[in-house]
Amino acid sequence: MSLGKFLVRRILQGVFVIWGVVTILFGLRAVSPGDPANLMLAEGATQDLVEQVRREEGLDEPIYVQYFDYLQGLVVGDFGYSWQSNREVEAMVIERIPATVELAVAATIVAIVIAIPLGVISATRRNQPSDYGATLFSLLGISTPNFWLGLMLILVFGVWFGIPYPTFGTSAIGILGVTIPYPSSIWYGMIEFPTGRRGPSFADAALAIVSSGSLSEMGTWLKHITLPALTLGTYFTALITRLTRSGMVDELGKPYVTATEAKGLPLVLIRYKHVLRNTMIPIITVLGLQMGTLLGGAVITETVFNWPGLGLRLIDAIDMRDWPLMQGIVVFIALAFVTINILVDAVYASLDPQVSEE
Amino acid sequence: MTGASAASAGILSIAGCVGEEEEDPDDPDDPDDPDDPDDPDDPDDPVDELDEITITLSQFPDTIDPLDHITGDYFDIYDHIYEPLFDFEPGEGIFPRVAEEWEAQGDGTTHVYLRDDVVFHNGDPLTAGDVAWTINRTVDPEKGVPSPIGTFGLGSIEGAEAVDDTTVAINYGAAPGLAEFEFGNYARAINRDWAIEQHDAENEAISGADAENFNGTGPYEVVEFESGVEVVVEAFDDYWGPDPPFERITFNADGESSGRAAAIETGEADVTINILPEDVATINQAPDAEVRNVTSFRTVFCPMKNTVPPFDSQEFRQAMNYAVDNEEIVSTILSGFGEPRGQPVSPGINGFNPDIEPYEQDIGMAESLVEESGYGDVEIELYAPSGRYLNDAEIGETVADQIDQLDNVNCEANIVEFGVVSDANQAGVDPDEFEDTWEIPFYMIGWGVITGDTDYGVQGFFTIPDNPNRTFDDEELSDAILESQQIQDPDDRREQLEYVNELAHEKAPFVYLHTQESIYGVNEQIQWEPREDETIYTWEMDT
Repeated sequence: MSLGKFLVRRILQGVFVIWGVVTILFGLRAVSPGDPANLMLAEGATQDLVEQVRREEGLDEPIYVQYFDYLQGLVVGDFGYSWQSNREVEAMVIERIPATVELAVAATIVAIVIAIPLGVISATRRNQPSDYGATLFSLLGISTPNFWLGLMLILVFGVWFGIPYPTFGTSAIGILGVTIPYPSSIWYGMIEFPTGRRGPSFADAALAIVSSGSLSEMGTWLKHITLPALTLGTYFTALITRLTRSGMVDELGKPYVTATEAKGLPLVLIRYKHVLRNTMIPIITVLGLQMGTLLGGAVITETVFNWPGLGLRLIDAIDMRDWPLMQGIVVFIALAFVTINILVDAVYASLDPQVSEE
Repeated sequence: MTGASAASAGILSIAGCVGEEEEDPDDPDDPDDPDDPDDPDDPDDPVDELDEITITLSQFPDTIDPLDHITGDYFDIYDHIYEPLFDFEPGEGIFPRVAEEWEAQGDGTTHVYLRDDVVFHNGDPLTAGDVAWTINRTVDPEKGVPSPIGTFGLGSIEGAEAVDDTTVAINYGAAPGLAEFEFGNYARAINRDWAIEQHDAENEAISGADAENFNGTGPYEVVEFESGVEVVVEAFDDYWGPDPPFERITFNADGESSGRAAAIETGEADVTINILPEDVATINQAPDAEVRNVTSFRTVFCPMKNTVPPFDSQEFRQAMNYAVDNEEIVSTILSGFGEPRGQPVSPGINGFNPDIEPYEQDIGMAESLVEESGYGDVEIELYAPSGRYLNDAEIGETVADQIDQLDNVNCEANIVEFGVVSDANQAGVDPDEFEDTWEIPFYMIGWGVITGDTDYGVQGFFTIPDNPNRTFDDEELSDAILESQQIQDPDDRREQLEYVNELAHEKAPFVYLHTQESIYGVNEQIQWEPREDETIYTWEMDT
């Protein structure tokens, strides 16, 4: 099968998956308890008002008519209106994408920066304490629930280190009229992080550096994103660490490594240039595939940190049972998932023709 | 050191470097400048004058039409922009504000006289036409947004018209005293021409994602708006009244109670609402924050729809009240942050009956009343929400457990999202008429009587004519409420409302639980006492 045909087949499969998601969501909406008209009006609406809203929103139509109307809208990019805010769903989704993407990218960077060196160290020092430490970290990282880790990070870095409790003593001492801060107060300032919310966007922070040379916005951005990115990236970090380790272990046993060693190439060059490069292919594949998971998995992290991304908007929509918004966000996440998968498949297929011939 | 902490240390060292860069004494925008008195992020700043504050609510309004919803968190923001026409003081009455005077005309009409120096944020002067249009848009389902404020808040108001530039005639179908409670709370002004031209507001709700989509006469105007995230307001230069105490206020929200508590502990928020009893001690230990609380006008209870067995028996309903130990629930689950109640409304509400005591737990009495009712060995289910009221799920489970202790009743708790009990509350009492939505006869809900008048706490639940959403079907109770709505003399009306509460105690349409405390976390520098009606007005604050 040619690469073109392979891609067409993948895209058709993707469309089928999206249609499935839309249909399941619509089915859930149909069987979920509660009258949408009641929900739109909140507490205190009379039955007359409820009936009026039901008529205006087309909720008195048969369910299949509502379904086809919705599908028809989706085809032309019309996700409908939020029941709660009366705004276009697509606008409400689009305005939250940057925050989620920013968080997902930051989490990925955290994962790459930590996991790859850790995996290399672990693989090259097998059965030594550093290997055991890395394995333990992987185990903890994979097993620790996001919401718990997030809350602990907030407690430690947001609350404990953010508040100089009287039990820690005063924050400054005076010597001959000069106030000298305790080292602890400097320490507190450095490791104190916001307990939630987003600061300036990365784009704004970068713009501030370009326009005025000010680093303060970037500092604020960094402080806001650190804990959420660590929380979201921990599972990912553990996963990549294990993948790097096992890939490296496989590669290190291959004859070309022995040959290059025999040639007298420096060990560092062998490990980081030749072996790691060969290990990177499956890691990059997983990185790509996991980006979709990150977009979806950000729901919990965004809720814990009140991070105004798609995940938090999804939770708000669920709380208010704002079905059009809820559907719009889930369909978007599904779209992102499918698109990333297709792209990864395409890259993979172009690198390894056997894949497209399966 | 774990990988995570290594990473954090790495990133922190970058942050530290950035921090060092920031300490440029010449940089006026330096957020970490220790000498900057206006740095809102610096909790250690000794000279912080609190010109700017952050108020963290538990629910951020995604709708921006001030008439669209009847939710307290929404009002906390929008009242600063679309100010109330009157000053309502819980338990005291209503006082002049934008409306300088008002006078009942004796024919179901009250004339309200407005100040002549009030302008909207876009510069247009406020006219009586704007006020009349806003009231009509609220109460007329054919005009603008179908508004629960119209059906509940302004339930007796029939409409309004401008008599001249500063006089509005408000028409109502009840006693002037009741109408006054209603428009005293819910009359506001939207700029008619702006709303129609910019938002087609006679056919649609006002919506949008920009600061320009707000236009009221309040002391603050919106300068930044990020939908679903925050509203930032600044003092309005042309405001007719005294300068508000803060130059700038940021309203945001955190749906997680732990997040709100952390925000107040770390100084990221200056006022936050809905603190849970278990977080009170921690917040009080924080250096710059404290907890303030007040017994609210919100009463929590469990309606029992009397059109289905076993709740059609008064003995059975009373038995449920005797089965529950309100004192125990308040002292253990709410750590004392509540008051047991035996009637639909709280002290301070017009018509509250001080002679009515809460039902005291008496298992023997409850069991014998169940036998008298003829519903021995019945199985019932209590639906309770989670996350809406203070420790609501735990309370629901405890109430069900206590009822289950009776030898002749089995009761199970079913914890659901709030929307389920909200639907149940609106589904009426007739299973045949509303078969699609009618499925839950026994559930837990809270009701804030924010008008300060018993009528708001009882009429939606108990009156029969034109009220398909009632939860209790009893002619005597309904008639008593309808009669109170027509009594002209305020003292006679209050007595009648006390009688209504007495009847409501005896007929036991609810399992009465408690009036909950409103618990706030507040920056110690802010002088402010919370209000019983859960409203946050920053113009009542000082530093």
